[in-house]
Amino acid sequence: MLLDFDKLGSWRWVLCAICVAMALFLLLPILFIVALSFGSSRWLIFPPPGWTLKWYGELFADPRWLGAALTSAKIGVIVMALSVALGLLASLALVRGKFRGRAVLRAFFLTPMVLPVVIVAVALYAAFLRLGLNGTLPGFVIAHLIVALPFAIITLTGALETFDPAIEDAAILCGASPWEARLRVTLPGIRHGVFSAAIFSFLISWDEVVLAIFMASPSLQTLPVKVWTTLRQDLTPVIAAASTLLVALTVILMIAAALIRKGKSE
Amino acid sequence: MTAPFLHINGIRKTYGDVVATDHVELTIAEGEFMTFLGPSGSGKSTTLYILAGFQDPTAGDIRLRGRSILQTPSHKRNIGMVFQRYTLFPHLSVGENVAFPLRVRRMGQAEVTEKVKRALKLVRLDGFEDRMPARMSGGQQQRVALARALVYDPPVLLMDEPLSALDKKLREEIQHEIRRIHQETGVTILYVTHDQEEALRLSDRIAIFNRGKIEQVGTGPELYAGPATHFVADFIGDSAFLAGELDGIAGDQAGLRFADGTRVAGIPLHGAGRQGQAAELMLRPERVELTLEPGPQGRSLPVVVEDMTFLGNNTTVSARTGWGAALTVRLNFGHPLSAGLTRGDRLHIRWSPEAAHAFVKG
Amino acid sequence: MPATTAPRLRGSGFGFALPAILLLLAFFVIPVAMLLTRSLTEPEPGLQNYITLLGSTTYAKIFFNTFFVAGVVTAITVLIAFPVAWTLAILPKGWAAVLFAVILLSMWTNLLARTYAWMVLLQQTGLINRMLMGLGLIDQPLQLTNNLVGVTIGMVYIMLPFMILPLLGVIQKIDPAILQAAALCGATKGQALRRVLVPLAAPGIASGALMVFVMSLGYYVTPSLLGGTANMMLAELIAQQVQSLVNWGMGGAAAFLLLVVTLGLYAVQLRFFERGEAG
Repeated sequence: MLLDFDKLGSWRWVLCAICVAMALFLLLPILFIVALSFGSSRWLIFPPPGWTLKWYGELFADPRWLGAALTSAKIGVIVMALSVALGLLASLALVRGKFRGRAVLRAFFLTPMVLPVVIVAVALYAAFLRLGLNGTLPGFVIAHLIVALPFAIITLTGALETFDPAIEDAAILCGASPWEARLRVTLPGIRHGVFSAAIFSFLISWDEVVLAIFMASPSLQTLPVKVWTTLRQDLTPVIAAASTLLVALTVILMIAAALIRKGKSE
Repeated sequence: MTAPFLHINGIRKTYGDVVATDHVELTIAEGEFMTFLGPSGSGKSTTLYILAGFQDPTAGDIRLRGRSILQTPSHKRNIGMVFQRYTLFPHLSVGENVAFPLRVRRMGQAEVTEKVKRALKLVRLDGFEDRMPARMSGGQQQRVALARALVYDPPVLLMDEPLSALDKKLREEIQHEIRRIHQETGVTILYVTHDQEEALRLSDRIAIFNRGKIEQVGTGPELYAGPATHFVADFIGDSAFLAGELDGIAGDQAGLRFADGTRVAGIPLHGAGRQGQAAELMLRPERVELTLEPGPQGRSLPVVVEDMTFLGNNTTVSARTGWGAALTVRLNFGHPLSAGLTRGDRLHIRWSPEAAHAFVKG
Repeated sequence: MPATTAPRLRGSGFGFALPAILLLLAFFVIPVAMLLTRSLTEPEPGLQNYITLLGSTTYAKIFFNTFFVAGVVTAITVLIAFPVAWTLAILPKGWAAVLFAVILLSMWTNLLARTYAWMVLLQQTGLINRMLMGLGLIDQPLQLTNNLVGVTIGMVYIMLPFMILPLLGVIQKIDPAILQAAALCGATKGQALRRVLVPLAAPGIASGALMVFVMSLGYYVTPSLLGGTANMMLAELIAQQVQSLVNWGMGGAAAFLLLVVTLGLYAVQLRFFERGEAG
C-alpha cells in the first residue's frame, strides 16, 4: 500500500507537500539569481526596483570575464576529448580485457572521484610548483582530467557492458580487422555513452573550482576562478548575470543529454 | 587422392585442466549441410569458434581445400557466420548491415547495391533496405544476419544455434528457409544446435558431440537406426532404457537378464561385452507393441499397466516391468486394446528385431 | 565452455588501460604520496605535525566544526530525502519526471552560482531576513552567513540530490507486493512504514548517508564562502596551511587525516554493502 500512490490516502498529500517544498527549496535560489541578474539594484534588493541589462553589459565589457570564459571553454574541450579517449581505452581494458585484477583497477580509476578534491588540489599544486605547470593550460587540463576521467570511465564501461561483444565478432567475420570493427561497429554502437561521457567531462571541467583556484595565475584563470575571486570581494550583480548564463548552459546541456537518452530508447 | 573440402583434423582444446574438445576428427564435403548436435558443454560450439578463429586449438589442424587456415586471422578467413544472439549492427540500416562485408572489402557502390539486393531477395526481405534492425522481429533480424553472412559468397557458413531465441512456430518457418537457401546457394553449412528435431530436419549429416568428442557421424536415418553408443541412442529419438546384465552372447546378438530373472534374447549388441556384464536394453517406443501374448524368440517382456493418458491421436500407457522399471507405450487412436484397458492389467510388450539395441555399460 | 566467444583484444588488453594508469600514477598517486610524506619530514622529520594537529584546541575546534556540520547536514538530508525519494518512486510518471528534472537541474547548476544565491539570500539585508522581519517573527536581522548556520543550509542544498538518488534506486527495487502483504497482515500505514518500508530502504539510507557525510567532511567551496574564516573546516585548513602559510608539513598532515577518515568510511560502506547484498 505504501508503494501505491493511489492507495496512500491522506498520506499522499503530506508526501506531496514535502516534495513541493523541497522542489521550491532547490529551484527558488536558482530563479532568484536569474531575477537578480536583471534587477536594477546594485545592493541586490528583492524584488528589484526596476529591470535592466546593465550587469550583462558590464560582464561583456570586461575582457577579464570573457577571457576567463574562453579559457574555461578551451580547457573544457581539451579535457573532454582526452577524457573520452583515455576513458574509452581504459573501459575496453576493464570490460573486454582478460587480465587479473580488473576489479582492483576499476576501483583505482574511481579513487580520484571519492577523495576530497582539496587533497588532490594541494598535492597537484605542490607537484606543479616543481614542474612549472601552475598557471599553464596543460596544468589545468591535467588537473581537470584527473577528476573527469572517473566519470567518463563509469559511463563508458556501462555502455560497453550493454553492447554485445558478439556484434564485434560478427563484424570481424564479415572481414573487418579488429580495429576496424571497433571503430565502425562498437564505437557507433555505444555512441550515446560516448556523448554522455563527453558532456559529463566537459561540465566537470567547466564547473570545477577547487583545483582551478590552486592552479590559477593572474594571467590565466577559468570562469569559476573569476567568479570565486570576485565573490570574495563583494556580491556584485555581475555575478548574478554570469551565474544566469551558467544556468542557461546547464539547462541546454541537460536537454541535450535528455535528447540523447531519448534517442537511445528509440 | 584429392584432399577433402574441409578437414577438421584432430582438434583439441583445453582450458587449464578442462578439456573442451578432444581429437575432433571430421571431413566435410563441398556443399554439405553438416550439423553438430549435442548438449551444452559438449564441445560443438568450441569447434565452431575454432573454425571461426575466435579461439586457437591446443592441438590439431583445420584445412580448407587442403590448406591450413589456423594461421589466418578471423577477418581474413572469408567465413560467414550467423550467431545465436542478434548481432546486427544497431546503428546501421538493414541495407548497410548487409553491405558491411562488401564495404570493408572496398567494393564499388554499383556492385554493393546489386549484391545487397540479391542477398536480401534470397532471404525474402527485399525492400527492407532502409529499415533499422531495432524495428524488426527476431526472425527478420536473423534472416538479415544470414544475408549479411552470405553476401560475400563465403565457401563455408557457420551457424551457432541461430534460432534458439525464436519461438517454435517461427523456428520451423526459418528452418524451412535455411534449407531452401542451402539448396539455392550450394554453400557448405556447419550448423550447431542442441535440438535433435532441428538437426534431423536440416542436415545432410549429423555429428553427435558428447564431452568434447564426436560419438558418431551419419545421416539422420543412420543414426536413428544404428546408434553406435548409448549416448547417441538416447539423444536421437526418445527411447526407453532397461538395465540388466548380458546373458548369452552369440556373435553380434545378445540376451539380457533383468533383476527378477526375466530374460530377453536376440538383441543386436553394441560394444564388446562379456557374459554377466551390466548392459542396457534400448527400445524405441513407436516400435514397441502392447499385446496379450508374448512375442517370439524372447523379444518380449511382461508388464503391468499403471496409467493411461488419452492424448488425441494416441493413448500413452505407463507400464511397469516385473522388476519395477517404468516404461511407456503408445497406442494409436482406435487401437483395439485402448478401449478395454484398465490399471493392473497384465500384458506383454513385444518388438520387431530392428527396434531394440543392447549397450554395454561403462 | 566459455559463455562468450572471441578474443576481444589481442593479448590480455591490459595495454589499453596503460595511458590512464600512467596519468593517474604521475599526477595523482605520486603527488598525493609526496604530500603525505612531507607531513612527516617538514619542517623536520618526526610526528610533530600530527602532535600539534591533534593536541591543540584551535585545531580541535576545526575538527569539531567539520564533523558537527557533516553530521547535521547528513541528518537533515536523510530526513528530507527519504520522503522525497519515496514519493518519486511512486508518483505518476509525468510528475515524477518534473520533480526529477528539478533535482538534476539543481545538481548540475554551477556550484558557485548556487552558493552565491545563498550568500545573497542569507545576508543581513537578504530576502530571508527581510521576510522574517516582515512577518514579525524577528525584530533584528539574524546572523545567517559567516557562521555554521549558513554553511549547514548551503551544504544541505548541495547534498540533497546525492542523498535522493541512491535512496530512489533502493526504494524502486522494493516490490510493492511486500507492502500489500504487510497491509493484508493487518499492519497500519505507520506500522508498515516503520517495520517494513524503512528497514527495506535501510541499506540505501545508510550508503547515501555515508556518502553525504564523507563528501561533507572534505567540502571546501561552500564552507569557505558561507562560513567565514572564524568557522573553519578541515578542507579550508589544508588549503590555508598550504596557500597562505606555506606550511606543507601541517597541510600534508591535515590532508592525511582527512584521507584516512574518507577512505576508512568508504571501506565501511563497501563492507556494509556486501553484507546487505548477501542478506
